[in-house]
Amino acid sequence: MFRKSAAVIAILTLFVFALSPTASNARDFAVGTTLEDFSLADTTGKMHSFNELKGKNGAVIVFLSAQCPVVKAYNERINQLATDYKAKGINFIGINSNHTEGLEWVKSHAAENYKFPVLIDKGNVIADKLAASVTPEVYYFNAKNVLLYHGAIDNDRSGRAPSDLYLKTAVDSALADKPIAKTKANAFGCSIKRVEK
Amino acid sequence: MSFSKSAKLGGFLALLLSCISGAAAQNAAAQTTVADTGAALKPASVKQIDNVGLRKALTPSGGKPLLVNFWATWCEPCREEFPDLVKLDAEYKGKIDFITISLDDVSDINGPVTKFLSEMKAGMPAYLLASQDDDAAIAIVSKDFTGALPFTILYDATGKQAYVRQGKVNIDTVRGELAKLLGTVPAAIPAPGYR
Repeated sequence: MFRKSAAVIAILTLFVFALSPTASNARDFAVGTTLEDFSLADTTGKMHSFNELKGKNGAVIVFLSAQCPVVKAYNERINQLATDYKAKGINFIGINSNHTEGLEWVKSHAAENYKFPVLIDKGNVIADKLAASVTPEVYYFNAKNVLLYHGAIDNDRSGRAPSDLYLKTAVDSALADKPIAKTKANAFGCSIKRVEK
Repeated sequence: MSFSKSAKLGGFLALLLSCISGAAAQNAAAQTTVADTGAALKPASVKQIDNVGLRKALTPSGGKPLLVNFWATWCEPCREEFPDLVKLDAEYKGKIDFITISLDDVSDINGPVTKFLSEMKAGMPAYLLASQDDDAAIAIVSKDFTGALPFTILYDATGKQAYVRQGKVNIDTVRGELAKLLGTVPAAIPAPGYR
């Protein structure tokens, strides 16, 4: 009897594991969800909390990579948005969750390219929490840490002629107390290189 | 003309002829090498598609499963997994349809994209997606696709999603998934009794 029960438990355990989504596939951080405060180190090792870094009107988290060509194509646009919206009380926070990119590399890339802090997400904890999968990928939170927009920055990777400025439109709508028409948009990019767990 | 003068002239002519024929032979050898290399690295043909073409490309035809790989030359894991994809194509030729879709910039279609596919000796039909709306394109592919590359999806013969992988594929896993659809034993996994 005991052996039978043990076998049933083992099969059920296996079944539950088989059904559980992997961290990289989990998609459970929906628009409208409130982000709990978290802390990560920047490229110099100094710890920062999200609540400390966000602006009076919120924050945009942008998942970055030091080597992804799509990120490189977006760098100028990202910096322009960061500058424009810092003046409106929304701070940009970069996060690098790629375990394949060394600290010195990320540090020099951040110093050369960004006017906002870049945090190191060791073990891709925050990428898992937000179910981020691609770089660049943005999350726009209001002052109460509620997610208002998630996904692509705009609809043109090349930057030649973006016709839909998803992130800008979402932030402008929220700042004007208007509903956000498109709260999620996917885009092609580099996968976040996660640690095997 | 004295004999010695004639002999000298004859020697000179022989040397000249020898040089000319040697150069011609070298030239021919060089041409052969170029021709051989050309044959080995036959330029791949890549067809540009938009979102309408994407929808059509993702529709299985001929009652066979359809395996699709999304990639780009700038995506390192995509490049790393490509030899395994070429192997799969060779193993399952005729049993499934297999296509690759590049997300490179359209300006690279006749440059880095075809060069890479030629180097890989990739024989599967190759497309490059020039989408006006990436979000819409991603939605056409699968609800499980976030846009991160590489991405591989297997549809059964009716067009139903049978398997997806975001990130590099494991060739044996794909073989296993194909075996399920084809009702066969995976090529690289020994059948029971062989262990």
